[in-house]
Amino acid sequence: MSFIKVLILKFSSLRTQTMASSDKTINTDVPEKDVFAIHFLQSLSNLTTQNPFNSPDTTNYRARKIKKAAYVSMAKAAGGSSRLWSRALLGRAAKENNKIVRFARRKRKVTWKISSKRRSDQRAPEATDRLRNLVPGGGTMETSKLMEETAHYIKCLSMQVKVMQCLVDGLSPK
Amino acid sequence: MSGRRSRSRQSSGTSRISEDQINDLIIKLQQLLPELRDSRRSDKVSAARVLQDTCNYIRNLHREVDDLSERLSELLANTDTAQAALIRSLLTQ
Repeated sequence: MSFIKVLILKFSSLRTQTMASSDKTINTDVPEKDVFAIHFLQSLSNLTTQNPFNSPDTTNYRARKIKKAAYVSMAKAAGGSSRLWSRALLGRAAKENNKIVRFARRKRKVTWKISSKRRSDQRAPEATDRLRNLVPGGGTMETSKLMEETAHYIKCLSMQVKVMQCLVDGLSPK
Repeated sequence: MSGRRSRSRQSSGTSRISEDQINDLIIKLQQLLPELRDSRRSDKVSAARVLQDTCNYIRNLHREVDDLSERLSELLANTDTAQAALIRSLLTQ
């Protein structure tokens, strides 16, 4: 019971923090922490039931699973296919699981064709290319789209880190 | 396709992205970076610097996720059965 209370308290404090500092000029469709947390907790619970967490030699393997679960939960919380990066991330994750996912085709057009013509920004080509490697699906985005997606991706990532930190704090022995 | 694009971006007329649009996006990115967010508007930060810092910031966040995953993995392995049961009840809600 105490753990639940701690968790709820942390979530609500986080929420007020971001409400205060949120920037309304950028895409405001950053997912709620709760949405990500629920996705993430659910996949964690699936993980625990699939393979019990008490065999010590599989910590690394489990950490990798947890990491993957975190990213997938983040992409799902961000609205699945509504964002290019989340779509790319989910696609990649599904590929690793040998599953085929099909997304609606509409949004794809915008990205592919232009990218070959204008692969990098003239002013900072190296930095832009590095960015492409860091943002999921960034390789095929035109520069302005890449920046938009990067902004959204950063917001989601830092949200993910906060929630995971909360979980770690909540689970750590007092 | 180019027709649809230019219609959606009437200001530019062509499919080419204007300098202003890119600059806007760079400023938006800058506001998301803890290191550069608090720098004053008068201090002009170069686009290259913003992009560089963005890369570093994303990389740091990725590293944090790695660390937190490992810690979560250890914590979940070490939680005694009572706490594990508690968490499980929380997870299944």
